Parts: sequence; structure tokens; C-alpha cells
Amino acid sequence: MLSLSIENLVVRVPDLQQPVLVIDRLDVPSGQHLAVTGGSGSGKSTLLNIVSGLERVRQGRVLWNGSDIAPLSESGRDRWRAQNVGLVMQDFHLFAGLTALANVLLPARLAGAADAATVARAQDLLARVGLARPSQRVETMSRGEMQRVAIARALLRQPGVIVADEPTASLDVESGAAVGDLLLEVATETGSTLIVASHDPRLIERLDRRLALAAGRIVTDSAAAEVAA
Amino acid sequence: MISFVLADLRRLWLGAFVLVLLVALATALGVAVTLQERALRLGSARAAERFDLVVGAAGSETQLVLSSVFLQPSPLPLVPGSVLAKLATDPRVAWAAPVGFGDSFMGYPLVGTTTALVKGTTAGFAEGGLFAHEGEAIVGAAVHLPLGAEIKPMHGTAETGGETHTEITYRVVGRVKPTGTPWDRAILVPVQAVWHIHGLGHDHHDEDHDEDHEGHHDEDHHAAEAHGHDHHEDEGASVPAVQQVSDVGAPSDAAPPSAVPADHDHDGEGEHGADDHDEDGHHHGHIDPDAALNEVFTDEAPGLPAILVKPKTIADAYRLRQEYRTAGTLAVFPGEVLTRLYGTLGDAKMVLSAVAAGSQALVAAALLLVSVIHVTQRRRQIGALRAFGAPRLAVFGIVWSELLVLVLMGIALGFGGGYLAARLIGDAFTRQTGVILPVEFAAGDGAMALILLATGMVFAAIPALMAYRQSPAQALRS
Repeated sequence: MLSLSIENLVVRVPDLQQPVLVIDRLDVPSGQHLAVTGGSGSGKSTLLNIVSGLERVRQGRVLWNGSDIAPLSESGRDRWRAQNVGLVMQDFHLFAGLTALANVLLPARLAGAADAATVARAQDLLARVGLARPSQRVETMSRGEMQRVAIARALLRQPGVIVADEPTASLDVESGAAVGDLLLEVATETGSTLIVASHDPRLIERLDRRLALAAGRIVTDSAAAEVAA
Repeated sequence: MISFVLADLRRLWLGAFVLVLLVALATALGVAVTLQERALRLGSARAAERFDLVVGAAGSETQLVLSSVFLQPSPLPLVPGSVLAKLATDPRVAWAAPVGFGDSFMGYPLVGTTTALVKGTTAGFAEGGLFAHEGEAIVGAAVHLPLGAEIKPMHGTAETGGETHTEITYRVVGRVKPTGTPWDRAILVPVQAVWHIHGLGHDHHDEDHDEDHEGHHDEDHHAAEAHGHDHHEDEGASVPAVQQVSDVGAPSDAAPPSAVPADHDHDGEGEHGADDHDEDGHHHGHIDPDAALNEVFTDEAPGLPAILVKPKTIADAYRLRQEYRTAGTLAVFPGEVLTRLYGTLGDAKMVLSAVAAGSQALVAAALLLVSVIHVTQRRRQIGALRAFGAPRLAVFGIVWSELLVLVLMGIALGFGGGYLAARLIGDAFTRQTGVILPVEFAAGDGAMALILLATGMVFAAIPALMAYRQSPAQALRS
């Protein structure tokens, strides 16, 4: 649903001479499933933060469906992200003391965007990710179940792009595989663009395209390789 | 958002509880000081309300007011009976009544006085009526004695080892309606009876004794005027029984015969006088409980610790006060003396208020410290909220309202606790002194609550602002 174009992006952090991320050009077509790989310090997380508007773009352009998010203010990016990005993180970031349903609805509620339809959708999503009890408190769930709640939360506002940062890294092999399957399925079902940063080879190999980063630069791009081939 | 805030507070209930407790204690301290001070001021002012002008012998103004209005036993110098006689006939005076104290019964002070004072200072009787005979007594609202009860007065108080007067038994004939003053704890008897018990001012029906008495009276008056104070102190040193009580009658009569100081006796006759006392038991043989009251006072009346005067007009009150401020007598407006006392009390209140404010500042600082640490610990959680699309304002609101809920609860509990503490202290005070302390909130307390609340809001905004400003990407990375 959302296509991404990055142009002349340079990201620096205050105490480092070298930029942490440099991308001259990157195009991700709408609906593509992209894997981003690379060791720690490769710029993987920075790329995810940049494309999801968590971090401000100071140099270069980040265009989603042709509109640049770089000039947006902090609050503007918050709003944009809430409407367009579904985030899934390694540590789930669920809120203890709340039910699965309340966790799915929390960001929408805090943004004042939780109407009856949204609540109904949250319940459907929990059923879709395979959780039978929306009223279960999250702290009583297994890690695999927690990540399912997190995926349901990411999907709530029908995002154009799902950004997942190591979604399987804190799970055992079995639940990791199940969560990987689920992510790919829902992304395909909704037609969302999917960007996954991962070390998990079994997840990576199932994605359309693989991007390898090292020291803040793209070192291999399976799409470019195919074109070259 | 509310459910999130509540879930958060439930999760951190122990820390939240401690914070609420801290705020509540600091608030309660300030509230209790304010309420108690106000109650003390109002309560004592009300106690003094009906006492327009008090005349006593020259000495301490504060002591005179404490003894007469608040019935605190203390050795007062005596004012000659002639002063009462003069005041009673003064055209500017509505009524003037003697206040004689020194005796007690079951811990209640016995006050010898007149019907005029009872009528002038009380709002009527709850049961029974005024005393009409020497052997009758009326009790204040807080005295636990039924009508018809017998009262055997004790000289001084039980604590100071006073002796019981065996020569008279009063009978309770009336109970006064509550006045909210220490007089609620008093037993009022005809001053005439008190004098007679102590062998003073009784009728001239025994020639022999009379002469003896005249001599005594002269001596008494002389003592009261010139050496009254010294005498009392002497006695205080030698006789614990009278150390804390000012005497109704003359010092020589009050002290047990064996303890009569030598310098007290008039030349030569002294020994005889003392013996005489022994044999006669303080001249105590002349009490007739059924004797009618005579409330016309002459110059022959014995010395008195205090005279309560009801002037006819305010101008009269000022003129009388002026006239009776002489070398030998003292005239005070109790209200004025209290105002001066409040000046001192006000200083104490300032110190206490400063202590309370200091503790509130400490708690505010602790609150700030804890909440800043808390927000720092929750960096990632707050960052995640932002990342998932919660607006910055919502993040600010969460942190702010969480703290505000705690502060609000603390302030509410503190006001309740402070009120309760002030009430408990006030009740204990009332039981001891009879002064009813009206513990009540005033409009100014609302302002205090608002100031506390506003301070809490500002302080809570600091960590909320920290949460508002922090970048979600950085927070998540840490």
C-alpha cells in the first residue's frame, strides 16, 4: 500500500565522525516484503527508525508514496506513524496490568482514535492472530502469545507498512516460526509493505528481498543482484 | 488513558502508597498546626467573652486572667474586700462579683461567687436553679455530679495534698447550661460560704471571736496589700497544699496552724492565735448550710484574688480600668491580655508553620526525586508508547495525571488526618481545661489546599515534561 523511496540519506550521531547510515538511493515498491540484515552497528535499527519516523531526517529525503516525512515536526511524525506504520519489536512492549485487548487498543485510545469499529476490529485481530481470550492479562501470557498481541496491535489502524525489528529474536524456535508465518500472512492479506530487520535465517529467506547493511552502507541487495543477473 | 493510569498505579501500588502517605503526613502537619492554633485562639477568646473587666491585686496581668477566666490555680495576691464594696456600689457598674478559688472537689475547682455572676455569665440552667443558701452549690455542664450530690470541699487539690474541709457539705441544686469555658468544670458555691469555712467575714454573733477576728482581718488586709505575694511564696515553700492555689481567705487561715510562718503572727498574740485556730478548727464552727445569702458587700469583706466587673458601657469599662490601675490594684480586659498572649502564640505558630512548610518542601523534593527516577526507569516504556503512536501530549498527561492522582489523594487524606488530629488534641484539651476548642476550617484553608494542589501540579509537570521531551528512538535504544 505504501511505497518507499530514500534519496541521499545521511544520518549522523553527535559523537561519531563517520555517519551511522548513508543511503544514496533505495526504492521499496508497495506491498514488498523486505528483509534488512547486518550485525550490530550496521545501521539496521537506524534505518528502521528513519523509515518509521521515529528518528528525524536531517539530511536527504524519505518519501512514502511520494511525500517526504523529513520536514514533519516531532508531533507530525507521531501522527503520521500512528496512521501509517505498524510497529512490532523484539521486546513486545506490552503494558502489564492491561488485558490483551486493552493493549491492542492502547495507542489508538491515547490518540483518541478508538471508536466502536476500532474495538470490534481489535477483537477480530486477536482472533486472527490466534488468541482466544481478549480479556487475558498480558503478563500471564507466553512470549509467543505476547508477540501475537503485539502484531495485532501493529495491525489495528490498517497501516500501509509493517515495520518489525527482530520480531522472532526473543522467542524459541517454534514460536519464532509461528510468529514469522503470521507476520508474512497478515502482510500478504492486507497488502501492506513489510520491512523486517532480522538475524533469523528461516524468516529472512522467506521474504521477497534481502538488504544487507554493514557500517551504515548497503553492501548487498538481492533485488539489485537479480537485476544485474 | 484513565484505565492505563489506574493499571499503572495498581502495578506500582506500594510506591504509590508511600508517596500518598508522605504527602498526607506533610499536609496533615500543616493542617493540624493551622487548625489547632485557630481553635486555641477562638476557644480561649470565647472563654473570655463574658468577662469584661477583671480586677485583682497588683501583680501579673496574665496570671490574673489565667486564674479567673481559665481557673488555673496559682497563688494570687489578694485585693482588699473594700474594693469589691466600692465597685458594687459604683453607678458605672452593672454588677461586680467576687471570684474566690482555692478549694476543689474530685478535681473540679470550687469557685466562690455570687448569684449576679452566675446570672451574668451563663445562659441559664439545664436543670435545677441557683443557690439560695450557704450550703448549696451549682455545677458546670462538664461536672459529673447529679443534682443532690454532696460536695465536701478540699483545700487545694488532691494532687497537692490538700486537706478536706469537714465543716460543711454542699448540696448540688443546679446545673448550668454549657458555656464552652473552663467554668463548665467548676463547682460554684456562695462566696459567703467559702469565707465562712475559712473563718472569714462571718456574722458578728460571737463577741469573743469577733475581736479575735477583727484583729485578724486587719492583719489579713495588711498582708494582702503589702506582702500578699511574699506570704504566699513563703507558704508555698513550707506547705505544698497551698503552693498552687491562691487563697480565698487570709493566708494565716489557709495554712495549717503548724505551718503558719512566724513573721505572719502579730506580736505576742501570734502563738495564741495559732492555738486558737487549733482548738477552733479554723473557726469552722459557724457554718449554717441553711443560712440565707447576703450579697451586699461592705468594707469588712475579706480579701479576694479577683473581682469580675460588668461595666454598664464600653466607656465605663475603659474608665474603670483606668481607675483601678493603681499601686495596689490591677484592672484588665481579659480579651486584651489574651490578644497579647496570642502575639506570643502567633510566634509559636509561625515556628510550627515554618516546620510544617519545611516538611512539605522536603516531601515535595522527595516526590520530585522519586518521580524523576521513575520516569527515567520508564524511559523505554514511554518511548514505546510514543513509537506505537501515542501523541506526546498523551504521554505528558499520563505521567502528570498519575502523579497528580497521588498528590490529590495525599492532600485529601492530609486534610482529613490533620482535622482528626486537631480534633483529638482539642478534645483532650477540653477534657483537661473545659475550654471548648472549635476545630473548624475557614475560607483561608481552601486557599491553602489550592496552593498545595497548585504546587503539586507544577512539581508533577516536571517529570511529565521530561517524558514529553524525550525522543522515542533514543528511549527505545537505551
